Amino acid sequence: MKLIEKYINALEQCDHKALSELFAPEGTIRDYCPTSTGRAHEYHVYGREAIDMFFRNKFVFRQYHIYGAEILNDNQAKFFATIGGYCVMAIATIRRVDENGLIERLHVRPK
Amino acid sequence: MGVYAITGGSSGIGAATKDLLKEQGHQVINIDLKDGDICVNLATPEGRQEAIDKLHEMAPDGLDGLICNAGVSGSSGNYPLLISLNYFGTIRLARGVYDLLKLKKGSLVVTVSNTISRGTARMDIVDLLNNVGDEEKIREIVSRYDASSPTMGQDMYVASKYALARWVRRISVSWAANGVRVNALAPGNVRTAMTDSLSDAEKYAVSALPVPTHYGESPLMDPSEIANAMVFLLSEQAKGINGIVLFVDGGTDALLNSEKVY
Repeated sequence: MKLIEKYINALEQCDHKALSELFAPEGTIRDYCPTSTGRAHEYHVYGREAIDMFFRNKFVFRQYHIYGAEILNDNQAKFFATIGGYCVMAIATIRRVDENGLIERLHVRPK
Repeated sequence: MGVYAITGGSSGIGAATKDLLKEQGHQVINIDLKDGDICVNLATPEGRQEAIDKLHEMAPDGLDGLICNAGVSGSSGNYPLLISLNYFGTIRLARGVYDLLKLKKGSLVVTVSNTISRGTARMDIVDLLNNVGDEEKIREIVSRYDASSPTMGQDMYVASKYALARWVRRISVSWAANGVRVNALAPGNVRTAMTDSLSDAEKYAVSALPVPTHYGESPLMDPSEIANAMVFLLSEQAKGINGIVLFVDGGTDALLNSEKVY
């Protein structure tokens, strides 16, 4: 399974642990979509443990989930992200992967 | 050694702070509904006045510090009580003993909450508290809101704490110019008698507000972690610190709001 598919699977299943394990120890997520909702600021999450804790918080409080995902290529997928009840069409891009195949940098932007 | 007064010192963070100050040899006057040196209800004007009068009797030479820690959570559903205790119970008491703090160039520390940074406070209520300040009118307004809504309860709680933090920022300048430092402390989730009795579902929700310094361990901080920071803010070592809101939440706020630096 491609890395981007694993990323989408983890988000779809709200599995914060599996999501964090795709990332390098200091891997980062920069998600610019929350700003598009007009209700939240961007998500910048730095480090594997932070990703685990951050998405646990978002999933448990139902502040983030995705649907309608489509894999675009080896590094990109698009999906509808629901952020605090507001919907954004998003494109996730794996920008950099380390020598162990773990994500070092991933960006999510509104389409 | 110093003379300190604390509200809500019979349990939780307040008790831990009181004990720590006593261990350091200070005299601590506990103001609480039960088991206090002064037993009063700070949610009422009469209770506050009684506390102010008794503090003047018990500490006529002044106070080295006042810690305003008493408060009630939004889950009580009693919004007038929440407003009267959390906000007015703090600012009216603090104003009432300002003269005692000035006598010893003391320090005021107010307990707020790390939830103030999440953007969920009812800012209309915050503005009424900070800018209107009519307790009876505001009690009447908040009593009209849905007391059974957990979301509303949380928003009201955050509003009371946000207003307190803003009050601290506003008055800290002039009080410091008169020798009295004023700071707020914003704790994260702390283990208390109340959290010990949470249902499994509530415990699950608490665990979703991670405390990074407790990663992989208990999601609740120990009251002593907050008390240590509280005592530091009161101390001579913190004499350069005034008008701040110090987050003592193990990094929860940094996790959820990494881009906010001020």
